[in-house]
Amino acid sequence: MLENISIGRYYKADSLLHRTDPRVKTILYIIYLAAIFMISTPAAVIALTAVTVVQLFMGKIKPGVLWTTVKPILPLAIFILIINVLTIRQGETVFEWQIIKITDTGIYRAALMSLRLLFLIVSTSVLLTLTTTPLKISDALEKLGAPLKVIKVPVHEMAMMMSIALRFIPTLVAETDKIMKAQVSRGADYDTGTFINRVKGYITVLIPLFVSSFKRAEELAVAMDARCYRGGEGRTKLNPLKMTSTDILTGLFLGLCAVLLVVIDLSLR
Amino acid sequence: MADEKDIISLSGVSFSYLSDDGEGKETATRAVDGVSLKIERGSYVAVTGSNGSGKSTLAKLINLLETPDTGKIVIWGRDSAESGNFWDIRRSCACVFQNPDNQIVGTIVEEDTAFGPENLGIPNPELRERVDRALKDTGLYDLREREAASLSGGQKQKLAIAGALAMQPEILILDEATAMLDPVCRDEFLELVEHMREEKKLTLITITHDMAEAARCDRIIVMNKGKIAIDGTPSEVFSSGKLGACGLKQPENFALCYQMAMICGEEILPSDLESEDILIQRIIKMIPRMVSAYIPDIEEQEQETKDEVIMSIKDLSYSYDGKTKAISGINLDVRKGEVLGIAGASGCGKTTLISHLNAIIRPQTGDIEIMTKDGVLRCSDKKDIAKIRKSVGLVFQYPEYQLFEETVYKDIAYGLKKMKIPENEQKARIMEAASRVGLPEDVLGKSPFELSGGQKRRVAIAGVLVMRPEILVLDEPASGLDPHGRDEMFALIADLRKSGTTVILVSHNMDEAARNCDRVCAIKDGRIVKTAPPNEFFINEDDVSAAGLDIPVLTKFSGRLKEAISSELPAVEFGKPEFDSYKEAASIVRSVREGVKGNA
Repeated sequence: MLENISIGRYYKADSLLHRTDPRVKTILYIIYLAAIFMISTPAAVIALTAVTVVQLFMGKIKPGVLWTTVKPILPLAIFILIINVLTIRQGETVFEWQIIKITDTGIYRAALMSLRLLFLIVSTSVLLTLTTTPLKISDALEKLGAPLKVIKVPVHEMAMMMSIALRFIPTLVAETDKIMKAQVSRGADYDTGTFINRVKGYITVLIPLFVSSFKRAEELAVAMDARCYRGGEGRTKLNPLKMTSTDILTGLFLGLCAVLLVVIDLSLR
Repeated sequence: MADEKDIISLSGVSFSYLSDDGEGKETATRAVDGVSLKIERGSYVAVTGSNGSGKSTLAKLINLLETPDTGKIVIWGRDSAESGNFWDIRRSCACVFQNPDNQIVGTIVEEDTAFGPENLGIPNPELRERVDRALKDTGLYDLREREAASLSGGQKQKLAIAGALAMQPEILILDEATAMLDPVCRDEFLELVEHMREEKKLTLITITHDMAEAARCDRIIVMNKGKIAIDGTPSEVFSSGKLGACGLKQPENFALCYQMAMICGEEILPSDLESEDILIQRIIKMIPRMVSAYIPDIEEQEQETKDEVIMSIKDLSYSYDGKTKAISGINLDVRKGEVLGIAGASGCGKTTLISHLNAIIRPQTGDIEIMTKDGVLRCSDKKDIAKIRKSVGLVFQYPEYQLFEETVYKDIAYGLKKMKIPENEQKARIMEAASRVGLPEDVLGKSPFELSGGQKRRVAIAGVLVMRPEILVLDEPASGLDPHGRDEMFALIADLRKSGTTVILVSHNMDEAARNCDRVCAIKDGRIVKTAPPNEFFINEDDVSAAGLDIPVLTKFSGRLKEAISSELPAVEFGKPEFDSYKEAASIVRSVREGVKGNA
């Protein structure tokens, strides 16, 4: 039922983006996040698409893999599209029937919002989750956040928490699938009925999932304890982060692309 | 006596778990109660006992994961109470736990292996060497860049071993580490650990309630209610006669010999259990007594299974990705009232097959017909699905993880509500289901999450039985239970069979499958290899191993014994194998007696 969800999943390959230092990718990710929400002209959207395609090639990500990350978010994107088309009333009317009024501005803004959401997911996947192992992402955040330790932010602990959360996504997805099948065989139905009833139905999945997650957390804590984990102090790294000139060049190239996007966008407004 | 430096010593150790009753009152449950013991460096010790006997707590105390309330723990001459020794002790002692998923920290195999030594602050290049060494030792080196979540259960447990070895421990504790593995993976895992023990001179402590596993050790410590009940070599422990009182059982091969000795009025001494050969020689010496032995007739309650077919699987194939087939060309008739065993290695397609049986997975090609009281239902027909879910109950492995309601009563009622059974009828059905699985009435008002593991499983099964299915499918219903719990589970299945329910049982344990099933169906690589009654199925060892299965321990040993008897008395003709140690013992003695009489 859920075996195809791959949000937050690492996709093993040997590519330029996979090899790039996770700190560079994290900074790039933040830049692209800003860019995605700044641009609003069609030309900039097309340029962003082009840059994203370049990134896909740099990460050697196959269309099938990309599709599995985008697919689960599509219903939400379509939902946002429809709601916005129906509620934005500025601009010239394209279609009107009883209380429904669709305007050109409405269509444009709705499409832009859905596209932003999709770009958000694709960028997160391509720059981070698909090409970077969770442990590396957390390493990067720990290193980048190191200055915050001065003001007593538990950077190491937060990074460790995040990497464990990501590590457990596939496990929890498999477990959710198992619980759903068990409830379905007792007569549960998650596919039909009213929206409210369906949401209520998920309680039968969420409660067992919570209970078992707590149990897992407890057992994992014991296992980490047994492996002598005692926080970030004095830890070494099997693969310490190393910044190479290729990493810097990749970062500069993709960073400039993002800046260029914004410049194009601003100049066309 | 060995030097202080080579001994793990516990003296008068007690430990209690504190639990909150929800109203601020704390109650203490004593898990380990005044235990004193010494374990020498390099030994291979099993700590065993039923669920709740305190065996796992004992392991946690040795690794300082718990601190004793009273008593003293000294490891290699270092007192654990002195704070300076804490990390020294913990780093010298590595653990592998039960659930493979809950002890993997890193996403990638080599990242996870490195987690321990990274914590110890081991610098590169030594760190890299340790990780590579540990991965090569466990045979995972080629998988080092794989995602840990994509490994099989057996591989995940090997990864846990790699993570432990990378810390270069002196003591390795396996805390029910094999409980979730199938027999093939379990043997592989134990062989690996035993090999590592010799190579790295480890002290190996294994916590288990699997007696075959305990029998591999040099010493067995049996825990009962927090205290040490028996402590000795496997032969001493298995011949002590106290195992039953601790909720444990002898391994099947020993049980057979004990039954034979009892029938012959002889006694088996610990020295007889040193090896199977010695044991067989001891039995051969009993032959004169067998001739005159009295064997009470076993009341044969052979329940005639009718030839009426209740479920017919027709040419069923399924593929998850459109390329490789998870199951292919499955044709199988399930007879009304039988217990049908389904056996096969992990990943052979068993789960895919049983998910079809109540249309959780809809057939891609082929079909399943179910001949219920209200006519024929077809899994391919969408209209029939609701009825199929009613007639075919499906209990997945570890079903206790699906409980969600506030009370046991409500949880059992869930299926009834979904089926829109009127309220007034619900209560009677719930009481019936609860009593069938042996749940006392006072439990019904409790939260399912307060119950013990075994009781939770009963609640989950009751939640399926309440729909009064004509066919019940159980996926490994006894997994994780201790010997006593397993017996109770199979007694429950026998009861269901008696009441006319058809049972389809997935099992890894061939002794149990043979004992409890009317027919066994072996699946390998998604195809049915053979379907036959156990006493035909397990006759030819080559056939059975070709299907990827093991001969039951009892049958294997009994086969050797019969060969030995035949070489002494060629005239003896043995009947078909039985799978209960008493019945098999009686059958062998009877054959010997008849063979000798026939000669005379």
